[in-house]
Amino acid sequence: MPSRLWRFLVCLGLAAGLVAGAAVVAPRFVLHDRAEARIAGQGQKRKEGQGRRKDQQPAPKTAPATPAEPPGPPRPVAVPEPPKSPLDSLPPEKVEADVSTRSIAVTSGFTGTEIIVFGSVDNSRQPSAESGYYDVAVVVEGTPEPLVARKKSNVGGLWINTAAASFDSVPSYYAVTSTRPIEEVADASILEDNAIGLDNVRLRPSAGTSGSLSAAELTDYESAVVRLKKEDELYLRDDYGVAFIGRSLFRSSIELPAHVPVGPLTASVYLFRDGALLSKFSTRVRLEREGVELLLYRFSVRQPFLYGLFAVVVAVGAGLLGSMSFRRLSQ
Amino acid sequence: MALALGPKLGPDIRANDLSVPDRDMHIYLPIAEMSANVLLFLGMGWAVGFLSGLFGVGGGFLMTPLLIFSGIPAAVAVGTGAAQIVAASVSGAIAQYRRNNVDVKMGLVLLLGGIFGSVIGVQIVKILRKAGQFDLVLALGYVTFLGVIGALMLIESLSTIQKARGGIAVSARRPGQHSWIHGLPLKMRFHRSKLYISAVPPLMIGAFVGFLAAIMGAGGGFIMVPAMIYLLRVPTNVVVGTSLFQIVFVTAVTTVLHATENRGVDVVLALLLIISGVVGAQFGATAGSKLKGEQLRFLLAALVLLVCFRVAWDIVVTPDDLYSIQPPFGGR
Repeated sequence: MPSRLWRFLVCLGLAAGLVAGAAVVAPRFVLHDRAEARIAGQGQKRKEGQGRRKDQQPAPKTAPATPAEPPGPPRPVAVPEPPKSPLDSLPPEKVEADVSTRSIAVTSGFTGTEIIVFGSVDNSRQPSAESGYYDVAVVVEGTPEPLVARKKSNVGGLWINTAAASFDSVPSYYAVTSTRPIEEVADASILEDNAIGLDNVRLRPSAGTSGSLSAAELTDYESAVVRLKKEDELYLRDDYGVAFIGRSLFRSSIELPAHVPVGPLTASVYLFRDGALLSKFSTRVRLEREGVELLLYRFSVRQPFLYGLFAVVVAVGAGLLGSMSFRRLSQ
Repeated sequence: MALALGPKLGPDIRANDLSVPDRDMHIYLPIAEMSANVLLFLGMGWAVGFLSGLFGVGGGFLMTPLLIFSGIPAAVAVGTGAAQIVAASVSGAIAQYRRNNVDVKMGLVLLLGGIFGSVIGVQIVKILRKAGQFDLVLALGYVTFLGVIGALMLIESLSTIQKARGGIAVSARRPGQHSWIHGLPLKMRFHRSKLYISAVPPLMIGAFVGFLAAIMGAGGGFIMVPAMIYLLRVPTNVVVGTSLFQIVFVTAVTTVLHATENRGVDVVLALLLIISGVVGAQFGATAGSKLKGEQLRFLLAALVLLVCFRVAWDIVVTPDDLYSIQPPFGGR
């Protein structure tokens, strides 16, 4: 609760500051939506942006407050524009993206797949694809699901699970890819706020677990979860997986292994410049069972008893049929 | 893929390491939620089928550990194993029934106990899964049973081979008199077996076998047959038929229970194993008729002990990673 109070105060402070700033200087682009930003005065903003840059620098520290700000997700609130002279007249950059396959069917032939996340930077100030002017990070996240992490210890010569931590929500799948190693792209605090990078995956321990374990123990469990998911190839990272193809167009390919947990995926694209988050964009990918797989899965979940009987009938049928036909063949 | 098997298995035997080269031969298992190499599991079914045909055993006690080694979650391995045993035993049971080798009354008494044991076993599986100890208990169960049976068979077959070499005529073992069994209440007449005994021992044997079927995914024929011969003194010609009869029904009940309680039956996987198993069993039976009984038993004993050591290895050797992750039971 005290943290919430603290957040509220910070918000209040921020809001008051912004209102005051806006009243004194000009209609600053506190982005309620992107259209507004484009309409808002531009030349003025640019100059002011340069002035503000220094005092905005420690912004990441107050960043946890942003989610509480008026409408919706943390938008690039007052992100300073780079001071580049002829391009300064352009409206702020905006990233848009899409995925090669919006809907992936998990059928009996599913052996994993690859999705291409591609997008473009609106109002790109980048001179060429190779200039490295922008950094892009692409995060594809699976449905959060509960998980139990267990720890073994040696009891009388046997390795036995003796302790456990349960998590209410752990992304079933997580892939991060970027134009260069994500740690070089932005400060840890920005990455943490946006859950970018394998160190910043959002793991939510269940109430009982966070109450009974010490912080160090919990950290051990959390890093174990990430490590094991990584070993299982469900958490992936590719440091140079995003490539610009032109001044504004970029693409990255992301591997979905055969055992990727079925459920909707979220693909988020983050645009950085000089360590500052300029814009972000999210889209969804459907990953669903189809055909026989869907029928069998649904059957087993909704009518487990009938499914069990069905399994027995199938087993008896296959057993009889197999031995009968084989006997025919051999005679 | 590695993690699906849990950290107790070493990196050397991970299923998809074997299966990566050609992806066309994969099939997605809807309940195990993994992509499996069709050839791997067909081969496994064939091999276990071949061995069960060769040795005249059910093969469940080999199938379940093999499934776990190849990356199938333990609960799915046990549930699917039960379904596979239904298929492997049903044609044999019908053949025996036609030859009038089934003591139906005895079979029903055994079955009654079996269902009771199975219900308890499935509940215990459920509790152990919640506590995260099912893999361990399963491994311990297998080590104990495979170890004891393998050792006994090895000793027996070796001594038989030696005696045969020494030229001493080998006579079938005569069961001792178990007088305490005749003192129990609830006496019943089993016409086909020509017995008038208490229903308590068959009930108990049935319950024990049903419990094993539920916990270990094995039919339990390897317990049932000696128990019927030596404890109940059922005539040998009736033993195999009656035990098959009971196994079919107990494993069928176990399959349904595992499907409802543990969501542990993967029909697609079961089908792969059944089809190849049936074919393998026919080959095995042909091959078995060309080998001597004691040689067969020696080979089987060696195989059983090998599996036993492999299972034991995982719980004794320091794991690569002390941590493991699993979906919480019933969480999905």
